[in-house]
Amino acid sequence: MSTLALPAGLDRNALLKRLLQLAVPLGATAAALVIGLLLIAISGRSVADAIEAFMDGAFGSAFAIGASINRAVALALVGLGFILAFRANLTNVGGEGQIAMGGIAATAMALHGGVASLPLGPAVLLPMLAGCVAGAAWGGAAGYLKVRFGTNEVISTLLLGFIALLLVYWSVQSENLLRQPRTSSSTLPESLPIPEAAQLPALTPFDESPLHIGLAICVVAAIFTAILLSRSTYGLKLRAVGLNELAARRAGMPCNLLLISALAMAGAFGGLAGAIMIQGEQYYLKAGFSSGYGFDGLVVGLLSRGSAIGVLAGALFFGFLRSGGISMEIMAQVPAALTLVIQGLIVIAVAGSVILLEKLETR
Amino acid sequence: MGAAADITIDTARAAEGRPLLALEGVSKRFGKLQALSEISLDFKAGEVHCLLGENGAGKSTLCNLIFGSHAPDTGLMRFQGREWSPSGPAEALQSGIAMVHQHFSVVPRMSVVENLMLGQARGRLRHREQAALIRAMTAKFGLDVNPDAIVGELSVGERQRVEIVKCLMREPRLLVLDEPTAVLPPEEIGALLDIVRRVADDGRAVILVTHKLAEIAKVADRVSVLRGGKLVTSLPMQGTQMGDLVRAMVGREVTSLESALASSLAGIARAEKQGDGPHKYALVCDGITVRDAGGAVRLDNFTLEIAPGEVVGLAGVEGNGQTELGRVLAGLSPPTSGRFFIGEAEMTHASAAQITAQGAGIVPEDRHAVACVTGMSLAENIFLNKLGQFTRFGLLNRTALTEAAKGLMQDYDVRAAGPEIAFGSLSGGNQQKAVLGRELTLDPLVFLLAAQPTRGLDIGAVEAVYRQIRLAASRGVGVLLISSELDELIAASDRILVLYRGKVVGEKPARPDQREAIGALMSGHA
Repeated sequence: MSTLALPAGLDRNALLKRLLQLAVPLGATAAALVIGLLLIAISGRSVADAIEAFMDGAFGSAFAIGASINRAVALALVGLGFILAFRANLTNVGGEGQIAMGGIAATAMALHGGVASLPLGPAVLLPMLAGCVAGAAWGGAAGYLKVRFGTNEVISTLLLGFIALLLVYWSVQSENLLRQPRTSSSTLPESLPIPEAAQLPALTPFDESPLHIGLAICVVAAIFTAILLSRSTYGLKLRAVGLNELAARRAGMPCNLLLISALAMAGAFGGLAGAIMIQGEQYYLKAGFSSGYGFDGLVVGLLSRGSAIGVLAGALFFGFLRSGGISMEIMAQVPAALTLVIQGLIVIAVAGSVILLEKLETR
Repeated sequence: MGAAADITIDTARAAEGRPLLALEGVSKRFGKLQALSEISLDFKAGEVHCLLGENGAGKSTLCNLIFGSHAPDTGLMRFQGREWSPSGPAEALQSGIAMVHQHFSVVPRMSVVENLMLGQARGRLRHREQAALIRAMTAKFGLDVNPDAIVGELSVGERQRVEIVKCLMREPRLLVLDEPTAVLPPEEIGALLDIVRRVADDGRAVILVTHKLAEIAKVADRVSVLRGGKLVTSLPMQGTQMGDLVRAMVGREVTSLESALASSLAGIARAEKQGDGPHKYALVCDGITVRDAGGAVRLDNFTLEIAPGEVVGLAGVEGNGQTELGRVLAGLSPPTSGRFFIGEAEMTHASAAQITAQGAGIVPEDRHAVACVTGMSLAENIFLNKLGQFTRFGLLNRTALTEAAKGLMQDYDVRAAGPEIAFGSLSGGNQQKAVLGRELTLDPLVFLLAAQPTRGLDIGAVEAVYRQIRLAASRGVGVLLISSELDELIAASDRILVLYRGKVVGEKPARPDQREAIGALMSGHA
């Protein structure tokens, strides 16, 4: 009897711990949502309408779910890049700019790279590859500045991001770059639509949902990242450099290369996200097309605590939140600022519960 | 010696006083480790109370409880008659308890004066007055500290002196020193012990943590021995035999360090100097000169040849160029001028990776900053420079890594719960044995640099470290042994060079009868 009681007791403790780990963040999120709804009520909108609009926009239809997942894909890619660089103790806050660079490169390749006449595979892949390369260059530049001049990557990735956003603006303003030919005074400052051959194949018939193969690419990227971080020697070296660069150098590791490559990879993931946004749903480049995905992806990466699964879960959560938020804005006239406030509350709730759980564990 | 005479006079007086600080049944547990159990001790004003014990015996924990860094789980402390349960070090400092830690709490980018003003200065900063105060204080206690020096540019030993001055400036009732002499050279240890004596004679209580018996004999009024978190004994120093203390500390009979070390090492065969190995020299340094950022010469025209199988000791007070030499040989910063060769291959501007590949094992003086990644596992640290051996198609074979780590742990007597344990949780001795094992298993291995390899290690670990170094030498590895522990150098080296202010000021054979001559060279009396 007594020999059986001990393992059973241990199991119960472990189960309780698991439950707590789930209950605390969920409870905190629920509390944040309640506060959010209170704010909506205070602002004079109908809470019932807001909830209905949110549910409609996030999960209301196959189309809504597909759109939410597509959003999650972009967020997940940026988040995966973030945790890669973060393994080397590098904080990449330039996701937004890396998306922008990826979008520019993918659009340019799709429009002017002669991919329209290629078979489906290369026609889709080449613009994506261009997006990766451009994003990697943008991230890698921050890495180079760090190892060469000691520039803090938080500053350099952020400022390079602003440059990239303005480059998007420039490239859709100038007809010498990517702006569509001006046929009338009402021609918008946007690129031409990319050829159909370069558009991502849909996973379901498009009139049912906009879900495209970006989802599959994202899952592959997540598996790649998980393996790289937990099973590869490269991942271990990133960790060593991040924890103690001097010891890593003494142990013969190419520290500069590791640091640059970590940021370049983060950038490549951001660029890929940008390419997928253009090729999957938007089909043409316009100013501000990245609309904050880089920053939301950063939050996803931060909240994931370095786990690829965590990134996927967080990205889905934020993807649905974003869809629901947009719907609340349109359908229930909830001010856009208020949906951002609610998002912020949820981030604080989740991050706070993570810290709380860590404290409980160490006690 | 004058200091020794003072002690006996004071012992009697101090014994009469009421305790300044009393511990009653104090216990502390960290996770599974019972760090302290049921400790009851009195600390009296005017008394130098030595805490003796091997690494992990609970000495540091006890200090941290007194200083308020941790709170005891059970038991009671009384300070100046009142219950003492400090909320933290800040309260301890305010109440008159100051502590010199093993790890320094100074801001490297600030000057000595600025560091000493931190947390003390109110309103306007009085730079010049403060500097004058420091000069007066350092002169009084014989602590050689330049108030205007930038702390980050000081050697470890100099930095510790800043710490000590910082504490003394607070005029504490109780001064706690956690292994303060571990980084000090012989003649400064004497000066420090004199200060300790003076502080106690001034009516203050001093707690001195150490595992060096010689210091205890010189300065202690009372000695308490801890072992495995328990108080083994607490005796007045007068009439106590050293042998009894050693037995209490290690729980078995041992001879003194020197003779133990010497006899342990004597059993290891010395290598044939004219061996038919592939190299004529393990290391050749040709006029290495290092200037710091300010242009001051830190290492001056350092020239040395080490034959395979030879152990050359480099004696010297810390801060006389050893750190700079270590960095050059490790491939962390090239010399300003001069060249060096490992096994006849020039490595002057080579990277750390190239130097390792050429067969140079490096045990750096700053273990935590250079030798290991404390946040990673023991196995990962053991193979930090050989990860390629366990990599296939970019993936790390963790099973093989763990198995190999177990083998090395056995070979080098690294005691830990397992290879997956965090490196930072190991004791200093086991960390050092792991680092040494890693460097000694390089293939090829031509040369080994061991810089301050026994700092902070207990007697057992010290012996193991030198044993491994001598064994490597007997296999034909040339060794450069940098240390400020003269006794250890004499026991483990073949010949000894003395470094003073960046220059080699002399060379002596490594014999006990040369001890005084070498000591004189170290302190600049040529």
